[in-house]
Amino acid sequence: MTVLLEMKQKLRLIYSKYEVLILPVAKFLLAFVTLNALNGKMGYMTQLDDMVIVLIVALTCSFLPTGMLVVFATLFSLAHMYALSMEVALVGLCVYLVMYLLFFRFSPKDSIVVVLTPLLCGMKIPYVVPIAVGLLCGPSSVVSVGCGVAVYYLLEVVVGVSPNIKTMGEDEDAIMNKIRMVVEALVGNKAMVVVIAAFAVTVLVVYVIRRLSIDYAWIIAILAGAMTDIAALLIGDMLYDVNISVGGALLGTLLAVAVAVVIQFLRFCVDYKRTEKVQFEDDEYYYYVKAVPKMSVTVPTRTVKKINSQRVRSASQDSRSAERKPAAKSADRGAGAGGRSVTTERTSYGRNGSQRGSYSSARERSGQKGGRNTAGRSVTIGSTDNTRAEADDNSTDQTSEWL
Amino acid sequence: MLNEERVILMTRMVSYEKNEGKKNVKVGNYFRSDYIAVQILKSVICATIAFCIIFGLYLLCNLEELMQEIYTMDLFAYAKNILTYYVAAVVGYGAVTYVACSWKYSRAKRSLKNYYHNLKKLNSLYSETK
Repeated sequence: MTVLLEMKQKLRLIYSKYEVLILPVAKFLLAFVTLNALNGKMGYMTQLDDMVIVLIVALTCSFLPTGMLVVFATLFSLAHMYALSMEVALVGLCVYLVMYLLFFRFSPKDSIVVVLTPLLCGMKIPYVVPIAVGLLCGPSSVVSVGCGVAVYYLLEVVVGVSPNIKTMGEDEDAIMNKIRMVVEALVGNKAMVVVIAAFAVTVLVVYVIRRLSIDYAWIIAILAGAMTDIAALLIGDMLYDVNISVGGALLGTLLAVAVAVVIQFLRFCVDYKRTEKVQFEDDEYYYYVKAVPKMSVTVPTRTVKKINSQRVRSASQDSRSAERKPAAKSADRGAGAGGRSVTTERTSYGRNGSQRGSYSSARERSGQKGGRNTAGRSVTIGSTDNTRAEADDNSTDQTSEWL
Repeated sequence: MLNEERVILMTRMVSYEKNEGKKNVKVGNYFRSDYIAVQILKSVICATIAFCIIFGLYLLCNLEELMQEIYTMDLFAYAKNILTYYVAAVVGYGAVTYVACSWKYSRAKRSLKNYYHNLKKLNSLYSETK
C-alpha cells in the first residue's frame, strides 16, 4: 500500500509540475481519438476524413476550453450527416439544439462527460461512465450522461439508416420519408431509453451512497452502482426486449468496478481504522464530528548536494564505518572504491504525515565524503561500486523504520 | 515579515475567486427571487424554442396525414391539444428549473458566506500585525 501511495504522490507531483504540458496533451489526445472515431464510424464526408484536418482540429482543441471539443465534434457529426443527406443533418441539428436548450444548460461544465460517453459506448465499455460520474460529479451530471447516450444512439441510428437513405431519391416524398425514417428510428429506440434510465439511476445511487457518512462509503457506492446498473439493464431488457448482451454487461461492469476502484484510490483514499469521532459545542451549536484521516505518504525527494571528482575512501574503511550507528552510516554511504561520487540528500520521508522531518542533526566530520546531512538522510552513490551503494541504501531504509 | 497563515489564506481566496467564486459572485449579486425569476424566464424561452423544434419535426413526419385530414378535423380542438402539451412542457421544465436554481443559489450563498468569513479573518490577521 505504501508503494501505491508513493506512486500516487509521485503522480500528483508530476502533474503539478507539468500541468501546463499534460492538460493540452490530454485534450489533444481526447480530441484526436474522438474525431477519428467519428470519422471511422460515419465518414460520409470524405474531405473531413483526412488526418491533416483531424490533427489541425485536435491541436486547436488542445489550447481551447474543453467545451469547444463538444462544438467541434458536433460540427463534424453534422457535416457527415449533411454529406449523407440534408434531411438527416436537419434532424441531427434539431436533436442537438433540443439537447442544448433543455438539458445541457444545467450542467455546462460536464462537456467532457458528453464526449466520453458516446466514445466509450462506441468502444463497448460504457458502464464505466455512470459509476465514475457518480463518484466524481454531482447529481446534475445525470443530464450529461443522458445526453451522451442520446448522441451515441443518434449516430447509431444515422449509420443504421444510411444504406436506405442512399438509395432514396431527391423528390418531395423521399425527403419526407428520410426525415420520418430517422425520427421514428430515434424515438422508437427502446434500447436508448433503457440505457439512459439505467445510467441515470446508477449515477444517482452512486452519488447518494458515496455521500453517506458510513465507513467504506465509496466502495459500497461502487458495488451498489454496479449492481444497480446490471439490474436496471436486465429489467429493461426483460420489459422491452432490447437485446442487451448480458455477458458483455457483466464484463463491462466488472471493468467499470476496477476503474472505479482506481478512481477511488486516487481521489478518496482514507484510513477508516483511524476514524475519530469528536463532540464539542459553541454558543450556537453542538457539533458531532467524524474525522477520517487521509492516507498519504510524502515522497522522498533527492537533491544532488555535491559531486566529488577526487578519489574516495577504500571499501575496507567503509565497511568499518558501516558498523557505526545509523546516522553515521547514512553519512558514509556510497564511499566506493574510487572514481566520482555523487552526494544526494533525501529531504523528507514520512507516512501519514506523522513521521515527517529529519531524524538526525547535521553531522559534519572532517575528511568524510558523505557531506552534510541537514534534513533527513544523506545518501552517497559511488559511480564505481553500485552494489555497495544499493546495500547501503537498503540499510538506510531499515534505519528509517528504526527511527 | 511574511505571515504564513495570511499567505495561505490569500492563496486559497484568490484560487476561489478565479474558479468557483466567479460564478458564485454573479449568483450572489441577485436576490433569491430575482435570480430564480430570471432563470425561469430563460427556461420558458428555451422550452418554447425546443417545443417548436419538436413540434416542427412532428409536423414534418406527419405532414401527409395532416394534409389529408385538415378539412375534416376539429382545428380548434387540435390547437387546444397542442397548447395543453406546450403548457405542460413549459410548466414542468420551469418547475425543474426552480428546484435546480434554488439549490444552486443556496449553495452559492453558503460558499460566498465562507469566502466573506475568510475575508474578515484576513482583515483581522492584518490588524494583528499592525
